[in-house]
Amino acid sequence: MTTLMINGKQYELDAEDDMPLLWVIRDIAGLTGTKFGCGIGMCGACSIHLDGELVRSCMMSFGAAKDKAITTIEGLGSEQGLHPVQQAWIDKDVSQCGYCQPGQIMAAAALLRENPNPSEDEIRTKMTNYCRCGTYLQIFEAVKQAAQLQGEQS
Amino acid sequence: MSTLSNLSMTRRQFLGAAAAGAGVFVLGISLPGCAKVDEQDEGVINAFIGIDENGVVTFQNPFIEMGQGTYTSIPAIMAEELDADMAMLKVVQAPHGPEYRIMFNNTTRFTGGSFSVRSSYMTMRKAGATARAMLIEAAAGTWRVPPGECKTEPGVVIHRESGKIMTYGELAPLAAKLDIPADVPLKDDASFRLIGKPIKRTDNRVKATGEAEFGIDIKADGLLYAAVKQSPVFGGSVQSYDQDAVLKMPGVVAVEEIPNGVAVIADQYWRAKKALEQLPVTFDEGDNADFSSKSYLEKLKAALNESGVRVENVGDADEAFSEAAKTIEAVYHAPFLAHQTMEPMNCTALVTKDHCKVWAPNQGADFVAKVAAEITGLKLDAIEVITPFLGGGFGRRFIMDYTAQAVTLAKKHPGRPIKVIWTREEDTQHDHYRPMTAAKYRAGFDAQGNPLAIQITTAGEGPSGRLNPEFLKDPTIDESIFEGGPHQPYAIPNKRADVVNVTVKPVPIGYWRSVGNSQNAFFKESFIDEMAHAAGADPVEFRRNLLTEQPRFKKVLDTAVGMANWKSEVWQDESGVKHAMGVALHESFGSIVAQVAEVAVDDGDIQVVRVWCAVDCGFAVNPAIVKMQMESGIVYGLSAAWSEEITFEKGRVMQSNFHDYPILRPDQMPAVEVEIINSGEPLGGIGEPGTPPIAPAVCNALFKLTGQRVRSLPLSQYTF
Repeated sequence: MTTLMINGKQYELDAEDDMPLLWVIRDIAGLTGTKFGCGIGMCGACSIHLDGELVRSCMMSFGAAKDKAITTIEGLGSEQGLHPVQQAWIDKDVSQCGYCQPGQIMAAAALLRENPNPSEDEIRTKMTNYCRCGTYLQIFEAVKQAAQLQGEQS
Repeated sequence: MSTLSNLSMTRRQFLGAAAAGAGVFVLGISLPGCAKVDEQDEGVINAFIGIDENGVVTFQNPFIEMGQGTYTSIPAIMAEELDADMAMLKVVQAPHGPEYRIMFNNTTRFTGGSFSVRSSYMTMRKAGATARAMLIEAAAGTWRVPPGECKTEPGVVIHRESGKIMTYGELAPLAAKLDIPADVPLKDDASFRLIGKPIKRTDNRVKATGEAEFGIDIKADGLLYAAVKQSPVFGGSVQSYDQDAVLKMPGVVAVEEIPNGVAVIADQYWRAKKALEQLPVTFDEGDNADFSSKSYLEKLKAALNESGVRVENVGDADEAFSEAAKTIEAVYHAPFLAHQTMEPMNCTALVTKDHCKVWAPNQGADFVAKVAAEITGLKLDAIEVITPFLGGGFGRRFIMDYTAQAVTLAKKHPGRPIKVIWTREEDTQHDHYRPMTAAKYRAGFDAQGNPLAIQITTAGEGPSGRLNPEFLKDPTIDESIFEGGPHQPYAIPNKRADVVNVTVKPVPIGYWRSVGNSQNAFFKESFIDEMAHAAGADPVEFRRNLLTEQPRFKKVLDTAVGMANWKSEVWQDESGVKHAMGVALHESFGSIVAQVAEVAVDDGDIQVVRVWCAVDCGFAVNPAIVKMQMESGIVYGLSAAWSEEITFEKGRVMQSNFHDYPILRPDQMPAVEVEIINSGEPLGGIGEPGTPPIAPAVCNALFKLTGQRVRSLPLSQYTF
C-alpha cells in the first residue's frame, strides 16, 4: 500500500510502480473524470495537476508521483463551488461529447495560474489538448471568460 | 434544481414505478402504426415522460448523446408542449425495445444519419402536449371546473378565474389514472418559448465537473478488465498463444480467445494490458495479407473506365460531348479514414444464468440487445442495455464488434462484470473505415463557355451495401458510394452518372460522419470549381448562373458569400502573405450548406484563417446547437482534409495513434462564423451537413493561391 494525496485526501493504493498515474487515479482511486485518450501523451484527455504543474497522467508513473500532491477535475473546485474555469465552461456551453473537457479544463486552469490574462495567441498555443468534436473556439472563449471571472474574484 | 443522469432505467423500472404508486406518472402515447408491446405492460406504448412528486420530469430519450446535443434539443421539444421547466428535466437514455422505435413509421431507432430531431419532432411535441392535457384534466377534476378554464405555466396548472394552482408533481398521480386523450392540439409556433431558442445544454454542468459518466467510466461490483489484441490482418485469426507465460502475472484472471483475437482479463486494466503485451501470440493471417491501399487505388482507377451501373441520366450526354467546343476531365480520389472518437471503443458486460446487462456506448440500443441475445442465447427481454454518454460517435458506434467481445468474455465468466477497453492503437487499427473512393468527372462546354454536359463515374464500395444491404432500394445501386456526386441542383442540360462497385473486402468499412458525402462533395465541388476556371468565370458567379431555378440553394450560397465579403482575387496581408477564398455548396441529410474558406500559405505552411458558413436546415430547433454542429462538422471535415489518412500494407493498417494519424489541433483552428436561414422547408439534419463542403472550399482556395489543383486528400501529402 502506498499513500497518495489526491484532491487533498489521502488514498491508500495498491499498484505497481510502473503503472501510469492515469490508471491509478481511474481504476484504483475510482476518480474517473480523468480520461484515457491516446496513452502516448498527445491528446491531453488525462491532464491533471501534479504539485500544481500540468501533466499528462498517462505519461507519469505511479512511482514518480508518490510524494506529490495531485489535483484532478473532481478536486479543482472548492467546497464553496466551482472553479472559475468550470463556471466559464458552463457559461459558454463549451462541451459537446464532453470526453476531452476535464483535461481541457485542467489545462486552462494551469494556464491561468501561470498567466492570469493570456492573449488570444497564448491561449491558442498553450491549450494543446485535442477535441474531436471541434469545440476549440468555445474553449478559447471560455478561457477568456474564466480569466475575467478569476480577476473579479481576486 | 438541475438534474441529469445518463443512466437508463429499464422499461420495467420506469413503468413499474408508476404501477407501484410511487408517484411517478408515466405517459404512454399511442401512435398510429406503432409497434405493439407485450401484454404485461398493459398497452403502454412509447413511454417517454415520468413526473415524480417533486415535479421532476424524467424524460426517456430514444436518442443517444454523443456531443450533437440530443439531450437538449429532443427534451426541449417535448418540454415546450408539456410546459415544463427545463431545469426540472432529468434526461435518461431509453432502454431497448419496440416502444422507442419511433423512426420511419415506428420501425426502428438509432442515432445517426442526422435524423434525431427531424425524425422525432412531431412525436415529441405530441408526447408533451398529451401529458399537459392530462395534467390539466386532473387539475380541473380536482377543482370541479371545466378544463378550458385552466392554463399552464412551467410546472404548474392554474385556474384562471380563482387563481388556484397545483404543481405537476401534485397532479401526476391523478393524471396517471386518466385515459390518454387522442388528437390533443399543439401550440402555435408563435408561442414557443423553447423551440427555436438557443436553449443551454442540459449536460454542460456534469461535463465540466467530471461527473458525466462515459462507458469507460462504468463502475460495478467485482469489475474485471480486459485488454484485447486482434489479428493485425483483417480476416485473420489466432493460431496459438501461451497463456502460461502470463497467468502468474499480478492480477491476471484468465486469457481467453475472442472471435478475431485474444483477451487478457485482470483485476486492473493496466495489469491486463501489461500481461497482454507479454503474451506470446501468433496469428493465422488468412487470405488477406497481400492487401494494400495502393493496389486497391489502382483497381479503383481502372474501374473508372468501366461502364458500371447508370444512376443518373438527363438529356443526352454523348451527343452533348460530341458537340462540345471544350471538354475537361479530372480523376479524384479520397483515402480511407478512421473515426478516432476521443473515447476509445469499450464495453462492459455482466452475464448471469437468466440475465445479461450491457453498458455499451452505442448508436442504437436495439443493436446492442440483439448482439447480446445472440451471444448469450437469452431472449431480448432478458437483456438490459445501459447507454452512458458517448465520448464521440461519428458513425463508429453502430458497429457492435467491441460489444460482442465484452459479452463473449462475460459469458465465459458468469457473475463477473467485465470491461473491455481498446487501446488507441487497437482503435485505430480495427476501425470500420470511411472507404477509399475514386471518381472521374468530365464536363463539356459550348463556345461561349456554358456547360453542356457533365459525366461522373464513381468507383468504390459503400457502407450501406456492406452493412445494411436490406436498406438498398435497388441491390445493384449502393448510394453510399456516390451520394453527393450526381443529382446536383446545377442546371447543366445533360447529365450522366455511373457507379462501379469495387469490393474492398476484407477491409471493414463503416459510416463516417456524412458518409458518401464526405468524399463526393470534395470531388463534385472541386470539379465545379475546375469548370468555373475552365469557363473563365468567377466560381461564385459560375455557380449562381447555374442556380437560377434553385432559389433555396442560391440563397444559401449568397448568404455565405455575403458574410465573407467574397473576394475573387488573391490578396496579400500586411506581412506579405498571400490569401485567397474558396467556396463550396452542398446539400446532405436534407440541409443545404455553403462555406467560404479563407486560406493563406506562408512559406509552404497552410493556414485556414476563417470559414463563413450558411446553413438552411428548414428551421433551427435550437440555433445554438445548430451553430455548434456546423463548427463541429467543419472541424471534422477540415481535420480529415488536412492530415488524415489510413493506409494498408500487407493487409495491415500502417497508422496507430495520433502521431501518425494527426487530428486537427487547437492552433490550426480557423475562426468560424455561422448564419442560419430558417426557410420554413421541411426539417433537415444538422450533425453531418457541416462536414462535406469544407474540403472543397479549402482546396478551391488553395488552387487560386498556388495554381495547384488538389485531386486527392489529405493535403499533408502536397508541397505548396
